[in-house]
Amino acid sequence: MQRRRSSSAQTDARNGSESSTRGELLLRALTAAGAVGVGGLLVGSLAGPAASAPSPAQDVRILNYFLLLEYLQQGLYEEARVAGGLTGEMRRFAAVAGGHEREHVDTLRTVLGGDARSKPEFQFGEAVENERRFGAAAVPLEEAAAAAYIGQAANLTTKRIPMIARMVPVEARHAAWIRGIVGREPAPHAADPPQEPREVERTIERTGFVKRR
Amino acid sequence: MSSDADGARDLTAPGDLGFALDDIDRDEAIAEGLSVVYGESRARFLGKLAFGGAALIAGLASPPALAAGPEQDVSTLNFDLVFEFLQSSFYLGAVRDGTVAAMRPEKERWARVLGAHELAHVTILKSVLGTKAAAKPFFNFRGITEDEAAFTRTAVAMEDLTVALLAGQAPRFHDRKLTAAVFSLLTTEARHAAWARRIAGVVPVANAFDEPKTLAEVDRVVRRTRFVASRPRTRSRRNPELTG
Repeated sequence: MQRRRSSSAQTDARNGSESSTRGELLLRALTAAGAVGVGGLLVGSLAGPAASAPSPAQDVRILNYFLLLEYLQQGLYEEARVAGGLTGEMRRFAAVAGGHEREHVDTLRTVLGGDARSKPEFQFGEAVENERRFGAAAVPLEEAAAAAYIGQAANLTTKRIPMIARMVPVEARHAAWIRGIVGREPAPHAADPPQEPREVERTIERTGFVKRR
Repeated sequence: MSSDADGARDLTAPGDLGFALDDIDRDEAIAEGLSVVYGESRARFLGKLAFGGAALIAGLASPPALAAGPEQDVSTLNFDLVFEFLQSSFYLGAVRDGTVAAMRPEKERWARVLGAHELAHVTILKSVLGTKAAAKPFFNFRGITEDEAAFTRTAVAMEDLTVALLAGQAPRFHDRKLTAAVFSLLTTEARHAAWARRIAGVVPVANAFDEPKTLAEVDRVVRRTRFVASRPRTRSRRNPELTG
């Protein structure tokens, strides 16, 4: 898959594409771009990567989408810490990553001001009591956060991107760390694929962590 | 550079890895690079970038003469490309020196995966840049790829530096699609950094926010390593003029 995309990008480059299309080329080389994602109830409606004109209103939707993911992670790690069922490196991960997610939540809430969504009610169940279940929950949440940031960060207005660019690698570091702890390859792709909001939302729904009102 | 594609399939394959065997006149390479950035036209600047030895140095200093626009995107991508050359050569060098094969299995896997990813990044960026892609510089790792402890420390520093570089550059592309695409590379490099730090016994994620670095800051760090050697000369500049 990776190989096929790469060679088609090479063919395009040989055909003399101009620099204005380089971004498209790189996106195509790295991802299956072009599809427009439409989120559901949790994340609202958002476009695919670099697919829509930035606007302050869209910033609010995107930053609230990131905020939901940060709330989820921070909630999971904090409740696991309080429950006291984690040991060793897993416990250290929950403490360190939990602190980072709290800072991310605070930063996003500050930027969003009155537009910030409220924190949903969560029900983490055994994921915060059982070490194996905690790992099995933390990996997909970190992966979803990293893929969500990759998918939407470039749709923000120019002034918002630098701050988010400093958070994106932190989510990826968390993902690599927790994968290493549970015995999975920390960096499974040469280039991480983005995810559409709809996929991210499905991941969140599968966990059952967000209480329905 | 077909050796890059071959190497991506099998990191143990022998072949021309493009290393300089000695360090050649580093300071003059830097001087040349700076004169390129500050004293010449954009077209010549990009031409020089594609010319080799001084590519990394030339790409670094944020060139004040460059107008905002696609050309700046090209020079930034070329800087990233040369940095990927540096990383892939570093891991391949450790493979070639037998350092990687002597590691415990989990660590060997880490070194080989990172090398393969950096080679893939080289291939991707080269294909995107097409004829504007910078040539591969010559590197001299001064024995670091032969020593497991030094190799590991340097890998951690290099991966963290790549994260700082891409976190700083991703927002600066004029083409939003480049920003989106470079985020896919940034997260991969961040995973590498976290993995390297875990292998080295350091906390994988130091802070809630990664600190970006400018091209000039990254330049200074790379210069201090003296890993980039200029292209070996076939003809000395000081040859006496034979005419007149």
